[in-house]
Amino acid sequence: MKNFISNIGYFFKEARRICRTNKLSNVFTFLGTTLVLLLLALAVAGWSVSSRLVFMLEREAEVSAFFHNSISQSEAQALAGQIATFDGVLDASVIDEAEAFNRMEDILADEAGVLELFDENPFEAYIEIRIKPQKVSQIVEKLNNLPQIESVRDNKDILDQLSSLTNALSAIGYLVVIAVGITTIIIISHMIRQGIYNNREQINTLRLLGAPGSFIGLPFVLVGMLITISAGMLALGIALLLILYSYGRIGSTLSFIPLPVKSELMLIVTTVLVSVSVLLGILGSVFGLSSITKKSSPSS
Amino acid sequence: MIELKEVSLEYQNGTLALKDINLHIGQGELVYIAGPSGSGKTSLLKLLMGMENPTAGTVTVLGKSLTNAKPRKISRIRRKIGPVFQDLKLIPGRSALENVLMGVRFLNFSWAKKNENALIAIERVGLAHKAYSMVENLSLGELQRVALARAIAREPKIIIADEPTANLDHDNAVNIFNILSSLKNQNITVIVATHATHLFDPKENFTLIRMDQGSISIEKRFCSNGERDIDTQMHQRSIRVERRGDV
Repeated sequence: MKNFISNIGYFFKEARRICRTNKLSNVFTFLGTTLVLLLLALAVAGWSVSSRLVFMLEREAEVSAFFHNSISQSEAQALAGQIATFDGVLDASVIDEAEAFNRMEDILADEAGVLELFDENPFEAYIEIRIKPQKVSQIVEKLNNLPQIESVRDNKDILDQLSSLTNALSAIGYLVVIAVGITTIIIISHMIRQGIYNNREQINTLRLLGAPGSFIGLPFVLVGMLITISAGMLALGIALLLILYSYGRIGSTLSFIPLPVKSELMLIVTTVLVSVSVLLGILGSVFGLSSITKKSSPSS
Repeated sequence: MIELKEVSLEYQNGTLALKDINLHIGQGELVYIAGPSGSGKTSLLKLLMGMENPTAGTVTVLGKSLTNAKPRKISRIRRKIGPVFQDLKLIPGRSALENVLMGVRFLNFSWAKKNENALIAIERVGLAHKAYSMVENLSLGELQRVALARAIAREPKIIIADEPTANLDHDNAVNIFNILSSLKNQNITVIVATHATHLFDPKENFTLIRMDQGSISIEKRFCSNGERDIDTQMHQRSIRVERRGDV
């Protein structure tokens, strides 16, 4: 540890020298990594926005349970309470005939005059149940088993599609993160290997002098980390500018899209990009360094 | 300190570089290894540095076996050795002092001691005035001395020098030999492979190992009492001590 601290200046100096000697290669590595990490930032932002959209839609997922006319108001309330305890049910409440009529008026808006054609309220009381879309089948089955329930309107097709959409978005998100991770590790480790190759004589001399692998390899790890983190910072800057620009455009033209709070989205993208850059920088460098540790003595 | 038992070394191309070598070198000895090109001098030094594995026998350096040793163990032993390579292995694009420092940076010395050792070593080889010159701007003799300074600065228990005076003029070569022979007074074992037998200081106590076709053909210790040519001493007036037996 004492040795490490006393050599910190040397490690950074070496890292700078390695950067300078492989300048062109490192510039391309930096640009390539920036573009890959920018792709990651955009994927994270897109994922965040779509997750928000799905979350909003999920909150609207509901089924309607119609009960027998013979059930009193208080029994209906008790039934709603019972249903609320089912796994996957977020809440359940009784909608009486008058409330059902008012809701339809709101939905029809300017066309609500058509309701005046009825002599009496055509709507029945029912229990409105907000659910998790993934649990729709189990909940509908349980509702059908209740003797007080006459029929269930489940919107199952829509809820199933919503569930599929959620799964697809998650899968795409994971796929992008994995693809970006692998690509960055390959780029960085290749760059480190090239640096090691260019400095092979110096590395060989240090080995013959008995330098430990960590002493030889640390400057290369530093280069990998510095390039990845710098690329991450540049990608982050571009991504944040794009988010600011997009919010201005989408907010005015596509205002119905439920965007997450801007500062929250920027924080998520920043956190992901900084941590991923550091992690990939370390992993890429370590993979690249394996060529130093694998090549063992005695021949060198 | 150094022990070779029944050591043979055969390279992959079938060349038998060393044959049944038995050798013991004690602490603080000055050992010259002489012999024609291809006689096995460099192969022997490579074995001592852990750069080659013997095909038969055992090599022990500083009490640790180097035979089939793991790289980490070899590295630990190498840290106690000050090597002067035949091709010097100095790092270009750096000053003489930086090259010397490269040999000590990873050793377990304090930051101040590393710098102090490097400066003292540079001064000892007479290059204080060129400490900050880039190695590209130094003459061959100066480069040889930088390589020697790098070895000395490490405070090694053993110095292994392979042809440290090759391509040097007489004065520079004598200078290098004087520095090397003075190191044994610090209880450092000094092993030098060389062709320049005419440069040995007859006033010094040293061991001469003659190699030929992979075998140690002559191995004597000389305690000189005059300034005569070393070869003459070998045959006429030196005290000869067989190494296997009374050393």
